[in-house]
Amino acid sequence: MAEMSLEKAALVEDSDLARIRHVDIDDVIDYVHRDLKKLPSYTDLYKRYLRQRWDVYDLDFTQDVIDWQQNMTQEERDSFVGISSGFHHGERQVEVELPVFMMGGSEESKIYMSSQIEDEARHTVFFDRFYREVVGLPGDSIQDVLDASFEHVSETFVGPFGLLAYQADELRQDPEDLAARVRYGTTYFLWIEGVLALSVMKITLTYCRNRGFLPGYYAGFTATCRDEARHVQGGMRFLRDAVTEDPRMLHEIHETLKTILTINGATSRRLYLEALGWEQEEVRRLMIRQLRMKLVDVGIALSPELEAMVNRIEPELAGG
Amino acid sequence: MATQVPVFFGKEWAEDVRLAVEAGPSEQVLAGKLPTYWDWIASARAEYGASWALGCRDLPAELGGGPSYLVLEWEDGHCVRSRIVGPDDPLEATYVFGADYAVWRELLAGEDPGRIVMYRRLRLEEGNVVTFFRGIYFFVEAVAAATRVPAALPDA
Repeated sequence: MAEMSLEKAALVEDSDLARIRHVDIDDVIDYVHRDLKKLPSYTDLYKRYLRQRWDVYDLDFTQDVIDWQQNMTQEERDSFVGISSGFHHGERQVEVELPVFMMGGSEESKIYMSSQIEDEARHTVFFDRFYREVVGLPGDSIQDVLDASFEHVSETFVGPFGLLAYQADELRQDPEDLAARVRYGTTYFLWIEGVLALSVMKITLTYCRNRGFLPGYYAGFTATCRDEARHVQGGMRFLRDAVTEDPRMLHEIHETLKTILTINGATSRRLYLEALGWEQEEVRRLMIRQLRMKLVDVGIALSPELEAMVNRIEPELAGG
Repeated sequence: MATQVPVFFGKEWAEDVRLAVEAGPSEQVLAGKLPTYWDWIASARAEYGASWALGCRDLPAELGGGPSYLVLEWEDGHCVRSRIVGPDDPLEATYVFGADYAVWRELLAGEDPGRIVMYRRLRLEEGNVVTFFRGIYFFVEAVAAATRVPAALPDA
């Protein structure tokens, strides 16, 4: 990957909500990976959070409603909802499962994790607003809107997100158990955030940018992607430090990846990616690339069995 | 004479559940999802040999009291035995799950077991999480099949 220019990095780093709608999603994804080799400290990530925090209620969805109702085709709307519903529920899921991880680790890690929990809660509200105000789903509460969008969520969502829920339960028994933290972190930070989330962001935001649609969604989800940069970098720092502290943790990462890649092979419903300008094979390659970049940058080697499983990754679209 | 519906968490119901999960999904259920999904489940099931204890923490006293468990034993991909384990009986299973009676009632009314897992309303109380999830869709569809089996419940 070519080195990101300082000018582009600064644009991603410093844009407020009004300017971030002009930032290219590819630059934000480059920004995610820019610091992976050196990995910022938890305190640096917390300081960055304080600078980059945005107000979800500042987003204006007026033009999005017009685009949704008048400019997008039914096929595009169906495809968009089918893909983004996995994120709607994914954000809720990571928001509620993260506090148990915050209970362990250093004090700096705990402070940083408090910001990530707030990020995830804000992202949940972002999707709640989008589904309520643009898609037009009914509901008096956040749960009502989640219930209304659940029919669009694939049956295989329970794979990675159910795994995270059960790993959170396991971690609750002993929040300082490093092996349980590593298994949890592999599912959350490496797979859900590092692969699934970034892939959905790339697909939906590239569609919005190419078509000039949904500016409120584009601004909010691009800002969400910038938040994910901190989450992925913090998560990769945790995994790298854990393996450095105890090399046996590599086995925990491998065993969790084996589970994740095993369940990735199941697809219960077809995703109509073509309506958004994507092919299945492109998404497959995107996911493989996202995973490999994190593994290489953090220095996690794979066994031949896992290498073969990575090469068989299937498109899976959710996030958190 | 009308056929009596087996009592929930009774011996007869446990055997009906075993037969249902052993038979697998109906044509109607199969048609609802892509063939690749069912292929994955068939592959996960092929040599499956674990046992599941599906618990009801607060089963009403008239049904045996809680916690009680429906134990399903798998050997080489076949559900070979089922039994009910009551509050005072010894329990042995590869994976032990717990849910409240209210959650079971929701499942019997058609709630999606995947969503119940996701919201941790059916919890894995014993067993290796990472290994268990290598068969997660097989498990979810088996629980769906189990909760489609008619069961008589006491009046609420």
